[in-house]
Amino acid sequence: MGKTITEKILARAAGTKEVSPGDYIEVTSRCFFIPGSTRHVGLADKVFDPKRIAWVDGHTGSTASNQAAQNRSSGLEWAKRVGIPMENIYALGRQGIEHMVAADNAWARPGEVFFEGNNGHTTALGAFGAFAITLSYGSAAYMMTGKTWIRVPDSVKFIMKGTLPKGVYARDVFEYVLGQIGPSACPGMVMEWVGPLIDEMDMDARITLTDLALFTGAWTGIINPDQKTIDYVRTRTDEPFEPLVSDDEARYAKVFEFDVSNLVPQIVPPPKRYIVKNVTELEGTPINRGFVGSCANSRMADLRLAAQVLRGKKLHPEVILNITPGTVKIYQQAIHEGLVDIFIDAGCLIASPNCGMCWAANTPLAAADVCISTGTCNYPGRMGSKDAEIYLGNPALAAASCIEGKIVDPRRFL
Amino acid sequence: MDNLLSGKAWVFQGILDVDWEICPYETLRQLREKGVPVTYEELGKYCMTKVDPKFPQKVQKGDFIVGGENMGYGHDHDHACMSIKGAGVGAVLCESTNANFLRNCIEHGLPLVEVEGINKIVETGSDLQVDLVDGYVKNLGTGEGLRFKPFPQFLLDMLKDGGLYPHLEKQQSKQ
Repeated sequence: MGKTITEKILARAAGTKEVSPGDYIEVTSRCFFIPGSTRHVGLADKVFDPKRIAWVDGHTGSTASNQAAQNRSSGLEWAKRVGIPMENIYALGRQGIEHMVAADNAWARPGEVFFEGNNGHTTALGAFGAFAITLSYGSAAYMMTGKTWIRVPDSVKFIMKGTLPKGVYARDVFEYVLGQIGPSACPGMVMEWVGPLIDEMDMDARITLTDLALFTGAWTGIINPDQKTIDYVRTRTDEPFEPLVSDDEARYAKVFEFDVSNLVPQIVPPPKRYIVKNVTELEGTPINRGFVGSCANSRMADLRLAAQVLRGKKLHPEVILNITPGTVKIYQQAIHEGLVDIFIDAGCLIASPNCGMCWAANTPLAAADVCISTGTCNYPGRMGSKDAEIYLGNPALAAASCIEGKIVDPRRFL
Repeated sequence: MDNLLSGKAWVFQGILDVDWEICPYETLRQLREKGVPVTYEELGKYCMTKVDPKFPQKVQKGDFIVGGENMGYGHDHDHACMSIKGAGVGAVLCESTNANFLRNCIEHGLPLVEVEGINKIVETGSDLQVDLVDGYVKNLGTGEGLRFKPFPQFLLDMLKDGGLYPHLEKQQSKQ
């Protein structure tokens, strides 16, 4: 019987011939990423293999909030104590959003499982054809024992067709799909994205697509690796890896099919994550804060898009736009390409790479603020005060709205 | 924790976000900023208060929260599981859930069971009995019941020991 890429990866990781949805298996991964903010890390006095672990100062970066100083200090002390090698410690100066650092350095590879501490958006790395999940509260136990339990998930196939119209991007595709299928469409399942649209997407776009999987209830997202995936990983590691892909006859719990040819830019108004609208329905809504960043949209493609909109323009005088590159490498590349000049000339704030503003760890919102954000979610209090309002959209939508001081259709600016 | 659980049902409709309806993330942030220890008991004071402000005072130890689809929506933020456990809830029943919420609940020693159709046979105030080993939930008032797939033994043991870390400690002390 045909198997999905997820079933194949999990069978390999469990050291067994094949697995099916509902099976309970025990799995070890090649590496484990610890965000510096992961709690209970101190419970692991002794780790099963410190060489396999990377510690990343990603959630808070260089900001002062969320007890950053104490967490950083005790986190680094713990990392040294348990013997994590220095080259695996991405402390400030080498930092970034955890799974963005993992992507930059090919820690997640096709055909493998990838585990991370507290961060549900580890799923971004499913774009590399890996089964990428957070172990959350179970992280410390994993580091002590080197094993975790997995109940093999069902997969949901998303067949994506059509050509993206101008001004519509991977972020819009995900939000549109979420709005159509709802918040409970894929509980505990894997969103597997296939089709000509996916084949056309570059790695940055694919990362956006798999990053947000959990908002449909999915455990993770995944994309079958192709030459683009292999080339990307090959430029970042010489170590061997063996990609796996779904069989044609693989079984799926559900199959959805979408044609994106007539999509318009999407926007998610507050306070519900899963009510998605066309931007045209909300044009004119005043905003005073903006954010381009988060693991959903902080890569080069996202920064280039924001720069395309902001080139030669100035922000609305009452708007503050925080642009946070995903990692220090991405930040450096943005400088080399002249993007940072464009941002600064427009009046933007460039923040030190980290999750930051997405979860109020950086330039948080006050009660009266209304923010257009490329962050991952918009529940009350996510980015600061519970009375602030958060709209979610793609980087062009965020940048264009910050020029006008209100929600606008970004296609006018492209 | 017994394998046979009894208590009253508290039914909550709609999407219950771990960072809002179940226990606001903002509350967690404020506790940390004030230096208040983040314990099960402390978080329990805020359980479901965005939906029912008096829930923590009304719920009795061992009662059940009954949810709908994708119980525990959103991020893998386990403070929500701690809040439910801290309020004294004995188990969570739901139509479906996501893997992060399921794992976090079980690893915190809080049983979470997916029972398709549970909302058809239960309402707030129903007296329920849940058999985790046999895989059966019964409304003692109406006599109606539903079967569910029981957890494998290792998860039943983990729940019995009070969660992943007590379970690990017990295993390691045996060696």
